[in-house]
Amino acid sequence: MSTPANHVQIWDSATRLVHWLMVVLVATSWWTAENGELEYHRYSGYALLGLLVFRLYWGFAGSSTARFAEFVRGPRAIWAYLKQLPSRVSDHSISTPGHNPLGALSVLALLALMIGQVTLGLFAVDVDGIESGPLSHMVSFETGRACAELHETLFDVLLVFIGLHIAAVLFYLIYKRDNLIAAMIHGRRRVPHDRSTAPSFASLPRFVIGVALAGVVVWIVARGGNIL
Amino acid sequence: MSNRFRSKTALLLISGLAVAAPLSMLVAQDDHAHGEGIYKVRHDGYHKLGDAFKTLRDETGGRSPNVAAIKEAAQVVSDTSVHQYDWFPAGSGPKAGVKTRAKAEIWSKPEDFAAAQKLFADQAKKLHAAANSGDVAAVKAQFGETGKACKNCHDNFRAPEDKK
Repeated sequence: MSTPANHVQIWDSATRLVHWLMVVLVATSWWTAENGELEYHRYSGYALLGLLVFRLYWGFAGSSTARFAEFVRGPRAIWAYLKQLPSRVSDHSISTPGHNPLGALSVLALLALMIGQVTLGLFAVDVDGIESGPLSHMVSFETGRACAELHETLFDVLLVFIGLHIAAVLFYLIYKRDNLIAAMIHGRRRVPHDRSTAPSFASLPRFVIGVALAGVVVWIVARGGNIL
Repeated sequence: MSNRFRSKTALLLISGLAVAAPLSMLVAQDDHAHGEGIYKVRHDGYHKLGDAFKTLRDETGGRSPNVAAIKEAAQVVSDTSVHQYDWFPAGSGPKAGVKTRAKAEIWSKPEDFAAAQKLFADQAKKLHAAANSGDVAAVKAQFGETGKACKNCHDNFRAPEDKK
């Protein structure tokens, strides 16, 4: 029996915007790299760096559904969640309204991979020693080349995890009839009446601090690490 | 509470390892297997050139340029631009069992290739002169021009990087 349900706002606009900008920028980074547009590739990387700084900050200071402490769960919770995964009953009766315990791992893996990817890019040097990341002057040519090679390989790993993420979302859409994609667009998700634990949203000043923090980090990195 | 925290930490560590382990194997396999003879001379020569270019870029871009390092790197670029004329003898093109990005056009369009080599040599000479004058701004400007000469030849005579 389905419980009467409400549409409740679970994702704030910052989290949604960061998510879709990441989609656009990962695609842009891929395209610019494939087509040798290294200057635009660098800008794309800076933008991603800013988003990652903001998302990490938001994971500690943002709205409740964006906070790592709220959604990252231990192995027991993940196991319990896995056991009921084949059930076609929608999620919200057993987990928190945001990320489920398994999805939390996906969030962590994707964030970690993107952080690794952007960091490698900062130190990468192209084969001709002409194009290079903004912090590459801190490493030798050999190290910069190794970073570039790894940067290329790690992207394939990232693609695998993105594929897994999309497959999971489609599984929810088709098998569980739970549209997570729409929820990431408009921010609302169906939650039963009896479990309307509304998330708490972060204030505008907190958002502004996060944007400023991201801006400062990108500014310093783009200047090659020179603060003055 | 602390138990839950510990298992979370363990889980984070395991996921970290799961991502890091395959990567460390990739680091181990480097790209220095570039054949023998002229293939190796060529590869090592261009590797040294890339290294010199990085030095020029770093030193002219920073706030305290090391003029001695700039002169030394410009010397390498200048020397390489002369040596490269000998690096593409007949028969040193792409063939089975050799890893090279040199395109067959180098040998099928020898005049075009020679012109591309000369363009680089001319720009390298100017770079060397700028470096010896100690004028960092001039080196920076000429670095861009020399880079264009590199790119010109790479666009026409170097195959795109193969996907591993």
